[in-house]
Amino acid sequence: MSKPLIVGAVAYTPNVVNIWEGMRGYFADGPAPMDFVLFSNYGSLVDALLDGTLDIAWNTNLAWVRTVGRTQGACRALAMRDTDAVFQTLFVARPGSGLSGLADLKGRRLALGSRDSAQAAILPVHYLGEAGLGADEVELVRINSDVGKHGDTGRSELDALRAVLDDRADAAALGINTWEAIGREELMPGAFEVFWESPTYSHCNFTALPRLSEERTRPWVERLFAMDWDNPEHRPILEMEGLRQWVPPRLAGYDSLFEAVRTQGISDRW
Amino acid sequence: MVILDLVERIGTVADGATVTVPLDPADGALVAAWCARTGNELVDVVDGVATVRRGRGPDPFAELSPWQLPGTRLWMYTNFDCNLACDYCCVRSSPHARRRALGADRVRRLATEAAAAGVSELILTGGEPLLLPDIDDLVAACTAALPTTLLTNGMLFRGRRLDALRRMDPARLALQISLDSPEPEPHDRHRGRGTWQRAVDGIRLARAEGFRVRVAATLPPEQLHTLEPFHAFLDGLGIAREDQVIRPLARRGVAESGLELTVESLIPEVTVTAEGVYWHPVSADHDDQLVTRELFPLEAAIEEVRRRFAADRRRADAAAQWFPCA
Repeated sequence: MSKPLIVGAVAYTPNVVNIWEGMRGYFADGPAPMDFVLFSNYGSLVDALLDGTLDIAWNTNLAWVRTVGRTQGACRALAMRDTDAVFQTLFVARPGSGLSGLADLKGRRLALGSRDSAQAAILPVHYLGEAGLGADEVELVRINSDVGKHGDTGRSELDALRAVLDDRADAAALGINTWEAIGREELMPGAFEVFWESPTYSHCNFTALPRLSEERTRPWVERLFAMDWDNPEHRPILEMEGLRQWVPPRLAGYDSLFEAVRTQGISDRW
Repeated sequence: MVILDLVERIGTVADGATVTVPLDPADGALVAAWCARTGNELVDVVDGVATVRRGRGPDPFAELSPWQLPGTRLWMYTNFDCNLACDYCCVRSSPHARRRALGADRVRRLATEAAAAGVSELILTGGEPLLLPDIDDLVAACTAALPTTLLTNGMLFRGRRLDALRRMDPARLALQISLDSPEPEPHDRHRGRGTWQRAVDGIRLARAEGFRVRVAATLPPEQLHTLEPFHAFLDGLGIAREDQVIRPLARRGVAESGLELTVESLIPEVTVTAEGVYWHPVSADHDDQLVTRELFPLEAAIEEVRRRFAADRRRADAAAQWFPCA
């Protein structure tokens, strides 16, 4: 049996242990066994990938951008979830708030999630700029909780929604995963409505460096793609990780974040 | 807002673990809808606090044998009067007990609905069913629908009651006869003098008439380790080992000692009496284990038993999560 590939991830909830135990068990039966190491933040995860502690990192989109920057583009993305290829940021407000597009936020208060969250802070600011709103034209209410975990916990987005409910903000920016988690508009009609949706972009991916050969990654990726939603043994792992199918990475989906990180001068270490 | 609280709390625990959130009674349906939509499980709502499990949790029925699944067998108490007054009877039957007969019409409807609801075996008990003048009609209604077992003390196989027995279909009906010991004294002490010999005679007669006979013994828990002489005696009567049913005495009815049995500790066996549907035959005279007064539709009563069993098991799992040992 070949030496296990070491995959790193961030433990943003205890459930991450269940997910990776499930993955390890799945790969143990195949040609490319793996083990995992958990970190408390993405800065340390990327460091461990770069210093050779890890073979593969389960990176957020911001961690991917950082890894590309620190390897001068030599790293490669191996795979992502189907849900990672079509991620979105949504801007929501209370119904009747008079907001129907980003331009309407001029002079209003927008609650943002953690400053290292691509979906709830970095990209929302980017979209405001694309809509022609200057830095001083929207009052940003920043809720920086769980910094280091790139918004994975969703806590700052929930706090942003609470800020809207409490009239500390007129609108909030959040990832589509949090919107789904609260049941969209359907469970709480009259509480929130979406007034602007971003284009789709890419979120997490498995990232490897050039020193890990294609010979080593190919059987692992093939085994990953063989996970089957209709297989009752695979399904719980896929459900916990929030996907139906693993897919090849959609790299064009990171362009907007590269641009946002550059123009906003985002810290290297987040 | 309870949904935001739930999303946040659930996000901090692993699959299978539970969280609690304060719940305004007006938000109960909202929390249930959220759980259904997101694949989490609403364990219960008690005193304004909702307990929710991350994920769906284990299937409470998965650990049961197929024959233990609630609704696999249906017990019917045809009557509560009896020619004996056993001192440990779990439903307080005796010659003085009111008959409280289920009646042929209800037995017929129950048998038909049971077959449609997926029940695979009917069990008739009492009281002593052979006291009923129409017992052969009741049995015929049952055996026409499903394989059936008739519980009896085996002491009344004479005259018109023997004629009634001979009208029953041995291919569809088994008899379960009570016998508590391989010698007369322990049996007679609980059931009355001379009853052991008459029961043994009844077992022999029933076998001679072509019926499959199961023998059921009720023993105090402390005697359950001395079973081999009993099995040897039953072997001698020609009773197959799988038809030798030896069970512990339950502290129910007129019994003063025995195993404590509660809804939480008993795997349910849907049981119908003239008064209602009960959790288990051992508790058919006790309202603490009454499921519903509505006998019909039977399928709804079976579904209610299953629902309560699943809810109890999930509550127990949730309690286990609350009291970790390390």
